[in-house]
Amino acid sequence: MTHQRPADSRTVKVEGLARVEGEGSLRVEVRDGTVELVELEIFEPPRFFEAFLQGRRHTEAPDITARICGICPVAYQTSACLAIEDACKVAITDQIAMLRRLLYCGEWIQSHALHIHFLHAPDFFGCEDAVELAGLDLAAVQRGLEIKKVGNLVMEVVGGRAIHPVNVRVGGFYKAPSREEIAALVEPLRRARDAALASVEWVAGFDFPDIEIDYRFVSLRHPEYYAIESGRIASSDGLDLDAEGISELVEEQHVARSNALHARLGGQDMYLTGPLSRYALNSGQLSPIAREAATAAGLGAVCNNPFRSIIVRAVELVYSCDEALRLVEAYEPPDPPAVAVPGTAGIGYGASEAPRGLLFHRYELDGDGLIRAARIVPPTSQNQLCIEDDLRRVAQANLSLPDEELGWLCEQAVRNFDPCISCATHFLDVSVERL
Amino acid sequence: MTQRVLVAGLGNEYRSDDGAGPAVAAYVGDRTPSTVESKVIGEPLDLVGAWEDADLAVVVDATRSGAAAGTVQLVDLGGGENADSYSGPMSTHGMDLARVLRLTRAMGHAPSRVVVVGIEGENFADGIGLSPAVEVAVPEAGELVLQVIDEAISCA
Repeated sequence: MTHQRPADSRTVKVEGLARVEGEGSLRVEVRDGTVELVELEIFEPPRFFEAFLQGRRHTEAPDITARICGICPVAYQTSACLAIEDACKVAITDQIAMLRRLLYCGEWIQSHALHIHFLHAPDFFGCEDAVELAGLDLAAVQRGLEIKKVGNLVMEVVGGRAIHPVNVRVGGFYKAPSREEIAALVEPLRRARDAALASVEWVAGFDFPDIEIDYRFVSLRHPEYYAIESGRIASSDGLDLDAEGISELVEEQHVARSNALHARLGGQDMYLTGPLSRYALNSGQLSPIAREAATAAGLGAVCNNPFRSIIVRAVELVYSCDEALRLVEAYEPPDPPAVAVPGTAGIGYGASEAPRGLLFHRYELDGDGLIRAARIVPPTSQNQLCIEDDLRRVAQANLSLPDEELGWLCEQAVRNFDPCISCATHFLDVSVERL
Repeated sequence: MTQRVLVAGLGNEYRSDDGAGPAVAAYVGDRTPSTVESKVIGEPLDLVGAWEDADLAVVVDATRSGAAAGTVQLVDLGGGENADSYSGPMSTHGMDLARVLRLTRAMGHAPSRVVVVGIEGENFADGIGLSPAVEVAVPEAGELVLQVIDEAISCA
């Protein structure tokens, strides 16, 4: 929709960026051929949850925070469990940790399958949405759905249900799935892995804008595995922090236009979390089949093109299927399924890799195990400055495009990040103003 | 032949009146036999896997149509042949219901019949609890859903 303004200014509005999970708006201002202002306004719910958690029992944190996001509840549950366990100085067993990792793989599978096939791929075909894409490539859309269903199945078997799993508790799980229940995942996961390999090949054939950005990558790093549910925080400029370290180092600033906080790390403005960062810092830890898929898709050790994040996400999709298979085949039911975590006074920190990036929590407990303070830093607020910076670059490099096309490209630049802005009521209005 | 019936409560109970759909799903779930599947769906796209090939899918969602808070509306989409007409403000969610229905149709697994029951909300801010007018409308919407199911089953 285009609104003509009098004289020398013009506003273009692209209504409803529906394929971003969230609510917000994007404004680009251009003056005399220069992009002067890029603002991504977002409205995200963690602030409400931080207040709401105060006075709640320490055992409630995973269930409450899981409701922040309909797409990545396991990420919120896991970071919450890690932080509460840290505050109470309790260590979980290896078997519980591996079951937690398996559940997390399920979330990666369903979230990545959703983003790749339904939200991001339509951009590369000039399609409005996955419905239009289905008219052009039904097999690809069906494949995405089949993969997503396997992710849901893993979450159902391990987490009790596919959306907002109910089997997770501080210290582990309420009930460990039986060997038979877990073994039944083998065939679906093999099919999903094969399908994911086909998806890597599919997305590698897309046309990508030629853009390279020298990101400051930040992600978890684990000594043994491609980091998902635990690890220390690493960066491309040499940071090595635990969850407490990053929580202390990240400053969040309120900006007037948004109720989301802008994160800055160690006094520097921008850093990137998410698939590109995980891949840049950990690609050597991918399983052989995922590494081969990455190589065949033309990825080097690092990918600096945000539009090619869809390939990295597809490689991670292969990996999460492959890793889930490994965990399923090695499965030993944890007995007991959870370790006891008595509430004690303390401060705890937890960080994990949500599909769209690093998510860390901090909790302060009193002597009764009641939460006195909570801090939740989601990936999208950490990435917000990078998103705006990418938008500035993309808009500046493409000012010759008509407003509608420029708006469309800006939408794509936002979707590259798979932002999860909130879990309900979604809008993102895009406007480009030429002053 | 047993009919496959799904009741999907769409929404998020941490966004105030957006919790209307889940509240109605719970109301219906307590009053229907186990053959009727009643579940909460957070994201409309998750309907794709949930309602595939169902004989009847009743979707309950909060609406923002401009009606008075608590107004209960029923829209029978049939097999979704005219789902395009329903894109717009009916759903509070990004990939709206009509799109998801069209997607399922494109993949050849659409439910035979989709009925949408909407409850008009007035507050979608972060928070728990329905507005009084919406709270009052939950049993009304629930009974309407039960009636739709009864009629469908008795006609089968």
